Amino acid sequence: MKIKLELFGASRDFSNKDFLEFNIKDKIEIKDFRKEIINYLAKNFKDNENFKKIVKASVFCSEDNTIVGDNYKISKDQKIGIIPPIGGG
Amino acid sequence: MLHSKIIDTKREKIDISKAELFIKSSSYGASIFFTGTVRNINENKEVTGMTYDSHDELVLKSFEEIYRETSDKLKIIDKAVFIEHIKGYVELGEISIVIAVACKHRDQAYVLSRYIIEEIKKRSPIWKKEHYKNKQSEWLKGNTININ
Repeated sequence: MKIKLELFGASRDFSNKDFLEFNIKDKIEIKDFRKEIINYLAKNFKDNENFKKIVKASVFCSEDNTIVGDNYKISKDQKIGIIPPIGGG
Repeated sequence: MLHSKIIDTKREKIDISKAELFIKSSSYGASIFFTGTVRNINENKEVTGMTYDSHDELVLKSFEEIYRETSDKLKIIDKAVFIEHIKGYVELGEISIVIAVACKHRDQAYVLSRYIIEEIKKRSPIWKKEHYKNKQSEWLKGNTININ
């Protein structure tokens, strides 16, 4: 299963593109997907603590533009947005 | 009535005269115009500009929710609300947000304007990257969206 993680705000520093792609074997809940992202960042950015903090403080957004909680299950190929702490206006 | 839009600075700028026209068309007696601009100093750092990022669909959804709430929670039924927010790079002193409201009475207009900007700060997925003179640009720390 392919999950395309769309990047916003501070998480844009995770990649030169607007997204990251993850190949996940089975259905996965947001709380475990969060761990996958942290593992990816640990491998690719030498345990950048600031990046980890961003992921831990983020919420996620489903393909139909709904903010979803840790128990939301991703069961098919889809886009998920990462929503770091906000501060607009 | 509500007008809400994300303005991509690559294509256009916020034009406050559009807010004035919108408010005038509502024919309510009390109106307030709020604008936010990029300030020159933040936490003792000399700011040269700001890049705004947004999740457009969620931001527009949040504007609509906030607008609806002002009927349910604030009981302000008769109103006109104009909200535009920047996305992209803006220079010092440029407008990043305009919130224009009109109601029958001034008390309602003040409450409505304040409620909208405070809720946007709490709920609308918008991020700021500040650019400094002689320093590396930084994403500003924000607040985690409450999902409950």
